[in-house]
Amino acid sequence: MVLENISTFLQKGKAKDVRILVQEALDANFSPQDILNEGLISGMNVIGAKFKKNEVFVPEVLVAARAMNAGLEILRPILAQAGVEPIGKALICTVKGDLHDIGKNLVKMMLEGQAIECIDLGVDVDSDTIINAIKENKPDLVCLSALLTTTMMEQRTIIEEIEKSSLRDQVMIMVGGAPVTDDFAKEIGADAFSADAASAAEMAVKLLKERKLANV
Amino acid sequence: MFKPVEHYKPDIDKTVKMLKKMYDDAIHHRGGNVTFRALPLSDVDFYSNFDLTKYNYETDIKQYAHDFCSLLANSYEKRTLVDDNMLPTISPMLGIGDYSAFVVGDIDFRKDTSWSKPILKEIDGWKEFPPIGTSKWYKKFLEISEEMLKLSAGSGIPFMRGFFSPLDLAGALRGEAIYYDFYDNPEELHELLNYCADVTIKFAEDIYALARKYLKDTKYGMFYSEGMINMSEDIACMISGDLYREFCRPHTQKVIDHFGTGHMHTHSRAMYLVKEICSLNNVANLWLATDPNAPKPIDHIEELVKDANGVCLAIDCETFDEIENNFDKFKKGNFSIALPVKDVETAISLTEKFKKLR
Repeated sequence: MVLENISTFLQKGKAKDVRILVQEALDANFSPQDILNEGLISGMNVIGAKFKKNEVFVPEVLVAARAMNAGLEILRPILAQAGVEPIGKALICTVKGDLHDIGKNLVKMMLEGQAIECIDLGVDVDSDTIINAIKENKPDLVCLSALLTTTMMEQRTIIEEIEKSSLRDQVMIMVGGAPVTDDFAKEIGADAFSADAASAAEMAVKLLKERKLANV
Repeated sequence: MFKPVEHYKPDIDKTVKMLKKMYDDAIHHRGGNVTFRALPLSDVDFYSNFDLTKYNYETDIKQYAHDFCSLLANSYEKRTLVDDNMLPTISPMLGIGDYSAFVVGDIDFRKDTSWSKPILKEIDGWKEFPPIGTSKWYKKFLEISEEMLKLSAGSGIPFMRGFFSPLDLAGALRGEAIYYDFYDNPEELHELLNYCADVTIKFAEDIYALARKYLKDTKYGMFYSEGMINMSEDIACMISGDLYREFCRPHTQKVIDHFGTGHMHTHSRAMYLVKEICSLNNVANLWLATDPNAPKPIDHIEELVKDANGVCLAIDCETFDEIENNFDKFKKGNFSIALPVKDVETAISLTEKFKKLR
């Protein structure tokens, strides 16, 4: 019941309640992994599905993600202690020339909602910064956001530069943003495109699973 | 630099009458008007030749006005034989940073657009803003407008300026935090939106007064200003219809009521909000821009006719066939249909073909 409540209160964006309930669940000897999967991630999955269907919108996603983070603040050190690791690591940014951050932030929250560690490079990020961050952080995924038809071309440039740096086979690249399409993603050599933040998280999980299987 | 507006639009009287009738019918929820806007490349490609970073806006305003007006004049010259519903207009183009920097803050110019950074760290921080009308970009925008009006006034070309809705302006000032404000600070958000409505009214009044000074004796110069306000509801597509109704509607309505009628803009991503926006009082027109990865308006005409309740919907199509195939549906409401075409010759021939449909 307490795990269901965590999910329900998370969906309502009730951060304080989620924090209290996570602590209650720990006190009742639920495993941190179950609290994460059946409470927090389960709640974010519902929000993601509703977001895709236009049943909830950006404000509701943001307050739900904030509630998830409130729960994670308590859970994170315990998960680390128990040896539970994120399912993958993603670099995320809005590309050079573009200062829009809401789409990028939504994707980041949805990825974190799937237990993917995110390194947020911010907005207006050039290829050098991304390449250095790949070398330094060794992410599984690179997620590139662009809101404008002009700045989406920077996604192509970044992918080309990652290729030139011989890092392309080390990362999977996802692109998104209002003007970006699946065809454009294929044309520029991205591994995946998602039309919305919830789909991006689903795609990221799928890519990470495929990568894991390929490495077995 | 500019020739008389009748040179660019030889049958302007007919076009203005057609648009006036359509907007009047829209306000009174009567359908039956379908107009056509051809969009040859030359209508838009001059923007890519215009580099906003080229100018020092302290010293180069005359040069900016000259350069931009030259591009507009060239573009209008190319389409003099296109007898569609498009009226030439004069309006400064500074990207989007100016849409909120007129309140406070600065503009970060890029080649083809501009930004202004959100500056409201606290939701009630606007109470500490300098009085409206005193900011750098408020004055600068009026200065730029005046230079363009000086260059164009003799031609009688209408002046036009769009504005952010109170929500868009509040979003630009507040940034992402505004999405939390709906739940965390609802009363303060209403206060901020009310402030945004007030400053928009003041800014628009000052711009219109300036335009009136140069255009009051022209026949069409104030066609897109007097008695109306052009406003975007861009970020409304991030929120639900319920939140729009509760938070945005009263403040957007306040601005429309001040001027008379509203000519609105949003995106097809916000198709679910068409009903909300069109149910605002005295909305004459809603430009519903098509987004990639979102439903196309042309595929939802019956639903849109119902939701618009007579408000003219400006939508775009990809082919003339789409227009032909949907024409009977269009006639049940009011529509302005834009069709991108490769060149002016095609624009002329398709405009003539469209006339036969009517």
